[in-house]
Amino acid sequence: MTLAETLETLLPPDAELRFGEIYLTRDKEGTFAARHRDDRESEDGLERIETREELRELAKFDAEGEYRPLKTAPTLRRGWITKTGEAADFLSRLDALYPGVFATWVAYQNGEIDPVPLRDTLERQTGMYKFSSSITDQMANEIMRSTCGKGCVRVITWPIDSRCPVSRLKPPAKILPVICTEACTFAVSEARRLAKEAYDKANAV
Amino acid sequence: MQIRKPDSALLILGHGSTENPDSSQPTWDHAESIIRTGAFGSVHCAFWKEEPSFRQVWPMIEENEIYVVPNFISEGYFTRQVIPRELEIEGHSSQRGEKKIHYCDPVGIHDRMTDLLIKRALEIIDDGTKVEETALIIVGHGTNLNKKSTEAIKDQVTAIRERGPEQGAAFAEVLDAYMEEAPFIADWKEMTDAGTVVVVPFFIADALHSYQDIPVLLGIESEPTAAASQQEVFRRNPYEIDGRTLYYSSAIGTDASLAEVILDQVAYFDEHYLS
Ligand code: SF4
Repeated sequence: MTLAETLETLLPPDAELRFGEIYLTRDKEGTFAARHRDDRESEDGLERIETREELRELAKFDAEGEYRPLKTAPTLRRGWITKTGEAADFLSRLDALYPGVFATWVAYQNGEIDPVPLRDTLERQTGMYKFSSSITDQMANEIMRSTCGKGCVRVITWPIDSRCPVSRLKPPAKILPVICTEACTFAVSEARRLAKEAYDKANAV
Repeated sequence: MQIRKPDSALLILGHGSTENPDSSQPTWDHAESIIRTGAFGSVHCAFWKEEPSFRQVWPMIEENEIYVVPNFISEGYFTRQVIPRELEIEGHSSQRGEKKIHYCDPVGIHDRMTDLLIKRALEIIDDGTKVEETALIIVGHGTNLNKKSTEAIKDQVTAIRERGPEQGAAFAEVLDAYMEEAPFIADWKEMTDAGTVVVVPFFIADALHSYQDIPVLLGIESEPTAAASQQEVFRRNPYEIDGRTLYYSSAIGTDASLAEVILDQVAYFDEHYLS
């Protein structure tokens, strides 16, 4: 089954799904629609967006005009709706908002990707990020709490290291999970920052 | 060259930025224009510092043959170390499960870049400007960290000089200059006596370097401009400075023809590396 077909199956006519901050619907005729979940009560006054390029532009900045390099930050703007009858087109629009998030969930569900332990990700780093691998478990928890917990809508599926067993996430009803299978550049940068801070403190005279 | 690969996917890789919202735009623009040609079954982008990241992109691609083209200006740390490591590929072609992955050369080292630089320089000067009295300066970052990008610029300068007037490059002089190493772009007035000077940045995007730092070094801005007003820098051409006429181009990577160079790298791969 292609990704577009999978999306059609997960979102059949006359159904709805929550996808992070996005609310997905499909009407009886089969038309797909996406909008901010805080706009789910009514379509009145929502701006129609017809292309993935415009959606990509919308996802670039938050309501205050701040750049959103992390597309799954909990700061997606409100006030828009996008509709199409084509599953492949709809998927490309969702990818403009949350790049690759749907495909990641499908691959995870099919057992095609294994979450990468945080320590493996950090140990792979080179250059200035090499230092990030020296964080303690406590710092790792801090990253998961603040960078990931407060700053991102993804659900973490990776363990801190390969010795910690993790259970696989089950799909909840009416929700299309937004998952994280490997720490991103923000988590790695934060690990470097914390590691460096601890090092500087330990070596201060 | 016409490319028809409806059963293959194209993956374009960019650096991206966590600070600058304009950094990935040229890469997306080139991807969209290649999608419109229908050359590939699908076209994707992935970034080192944006999403989808190099690590996140594989599940998005459904074709079993994938051409990967780095939208980078030169060979170096990224193309040789970071990308192969993050994509888990090795050499020119790799097998990853059912997927065959072809790793093409970065756009910046393709011969066509020479045509593009000449085209860009001739495009921005006003009609009636005497090309044979005009100096062309190709500017790059230049540091010991990235020797390859300095080499790439020197190669381009040599190639443009070799073309000469017969092949549409009648410039009085063609020079290389850098932000952080000699010959310094800040010394452009001493580098040439030509009355008219065209400066083309050899960068992938109009990021901080090309619309903030270099304009200050050239003396056309007194302090770095804010991102929102970046296009102003290019719109105010030409600049009259100390009796000289200066034209400043946006980064070569923003030229729409770069989409063709991406396809050229795929064609080059098929001709030279495909086994
Ligand atoms: S590591 Fe994953 S969960 Fe944490 S901020 Fe990055 S994408 Fe979000």
